Amino acid sequence: MALLPSGVFAESYAADRALVRTGKQWVALGLFVAFLFVLPLIFGTRLTAIGNGILITAIVVVGLQITMGYAGQITLGQAAFMGVGAFAAAALARAGAPFWLCIPLGGVAAAVFGLLFGIAAARIKGFYLALTTIAAQFVFQLAIVNLPTDLFGGSHGLSVPAASIGSLRLTTETSIYYLNLIVCIIMVCGAFGIVRSRYGRAFVAVREDDVAAGILGINVVGAKVLAFLIGAFYAGVGGALWASYIRFISVEQFTLFNSIWMIAMIIIGGIGSIVGAIVGSVVVRGLQELVTALGPVLNEVFPAFGGQLVFAGMNLVLGGLITFFLIVEPKGLMHRWNKLKQAYRLWPYPHA
Amino acid sequence: MTQTATMSTAAGAVGAEDVRHLRTVYSAEELRLNFGGVKALSDVSMDIRDDELLAVIGPNGAGKTSLLNVLSGLYRPQQGRLLLNGEDVRGLSTHQIAKRGLARTFQSAHLFAGMSVLDNIMVGRHHLMRTNPLQAFAYFPWTHREEISHREAVEDIIEFLEIEAIRHQPVDALGYGLRKRVDLGRALAMEPRVLLMDEPMAGMNVEEKEDLARFILDLREARKMPVVLVEHDMSVVMDLADRVAVLDFGRKLAEGAPSDIQRNPEVIAAYLGDAA
Repeated sequence: MALLPSGVFAESYAADRALVRTGKQWVALGLFVAFLFVLPLIFGTRLTAIGNGILITAIVVVGLQITMGYAGQITLGQAAFMGVGAFAAAALARAGAPFWLCIPLGGVAAAVFGLLFGIAAARIKGFYLALTTIAAQFVFQLAIVNLPTDLFGGSHGLSVPAASIGSLRLTTETSIYYLNLIVCIIMVCGAFGIVRSRYGRAFVAVREDDVAAGILGINVVGAKVLAFLIGAFYAGVGGALWASYIRFISVEQFTLFNSIWMIAMIIIGGIGSIVGAIVGSVVVRGLQELVTALGPVLNEVFPAFGGQLVFAGMNLVLGGLITFFLIVEPKGLMHRWNKLKQAYRLWPYPHA
Repeated sequence: MTQTATMSTAAGAVGAEDVRHLRTVYSAEELRLNFGGVKALSDVSMDIRDDELLAVIGPNGAGKTSLLNVLSGLYRPQQGRLLLNGEDVRGLSTHQIAKRGLARTFQSAHLFAGMSVLDNIMVGRHHLMRTNPLQAFAYFPWTHREEISHREAVEDIIEFLEIEAIRHQPVDALGYGLRKRVDLGRALAMEPRVLLMDEPMAGMNVEEKEDLARFILDLREARKMPVVLVEHDMSVVMDLADRVAVLDFGRKLAEGAPSDIQRNPEVIAAYLGDAA
């Protein structure tokens, strides 16, 4: 139950379903967004770059949260959907399409690709669906490598023109950061809109009991396909931003391994929570950066391991994290946070 | 007030004779449903008329739940016609039949476990809402207003079912009787033309049964909605129903007023046993 601070009561249905309930919450949210906007000014380029990685990942993982966390459709193809968005946006940009159009079109291209696997979800469930979505990774890789090289770069990869809005060229780490931040805020607000609407409820209904969902007038197949469509669209938008940020894309950037990392972010942040997806992205990307930064230091201490240390360390962290969370906190960090909030609000009484 | 007293007063409101002239809302004609060699339903015909409560009874395995599943589109009969408000709905999927005005409750509630009571009932409004995915993404003021207006309709149902205090609770924390009430609320939120209830009283204690019987009578009075009730509790059936249909081994044995059914020798032999 959504437990509010004492003395806060909803006096209208609008207030009862508001996401931000108290003045203090508005202040906290405002301060947080303000902090995100001044982050590149306070911290150096290094942290801004990490911030860029986190923002793009967050968009993709929020999409995965809708497909997997809300609609319950396990997908191991989110990185491939992201790749489709990246390559589509890159090819369009090279063909001279305006940059602001490339981002949504990248999303649309990924959504069309995701639709294929959404249709598969109409017939199969659970583990079988997960296995089918792995195919997305291989189809994506095969397609890019075998499609015309002058369009998609084949196995060599594809260089991407710099992002520009009007006469403004977005080439610095900071300018890209603001682009990513604004798109991320729009996408996250949109995700809240979707999960609070009839579709969010339909997704959860299909996840919990698809027979009952059908009896209640929900087109179950339609809901599953839509969940894939939305999730892939988010991945495609993230991919398009990634392409214009990294300026050189290749199939190795969008592997099954990346998809599994994204699922780890959902598990760690909390399944079925938009904020959880963001928290998971921040925590996991932060840890990845930590391992990368620690690599050279550890190499000096243990020279016997050689250059494989960072790669091996990354795998250890991934496996360890997933195992730890599945055993200790399978509902993720958001669940723990909500419990802490409840305990704080009830303190010093042990029960409600 | 005792159980019998509550029920018999309201049951007299619509007698079996009055019901005969009412318009047919949902009619099933010569349904046949086989599972391999098992004949779940053989040539079962049934009319559900406006503003009546039709009880379907029969021993275990008689085909009661099969009939409900056919009526709601979960099973596709090999033969027969299903006419909902004059439209042939045989072969349509469950959500298409639901949109044409059919709602049902489940024997085991089948609630959406991860959601609150309120959201469970709001799911019933899904097919009445018009927001498309893009509007949901943008969350326009009118998207918000649509949510609020449907929330108001849902709050009426919450008030009717007296579950105001638990509206924000997750349904998996609720007891059995309350779950059944939420299940009924969800069906009512769909604003159906016909309501099917699959053994709503099964597993309930006397108090819960009385509550539910009261809700069924109230909703008939307030919404003039035909209700089909599959039920094992004979006292409930005899007190609540305007008409009773008896199934046995996938066939319809008899149909008529509760008092006639009680006297029907075939029914007594097949269902009530010699002791009755």
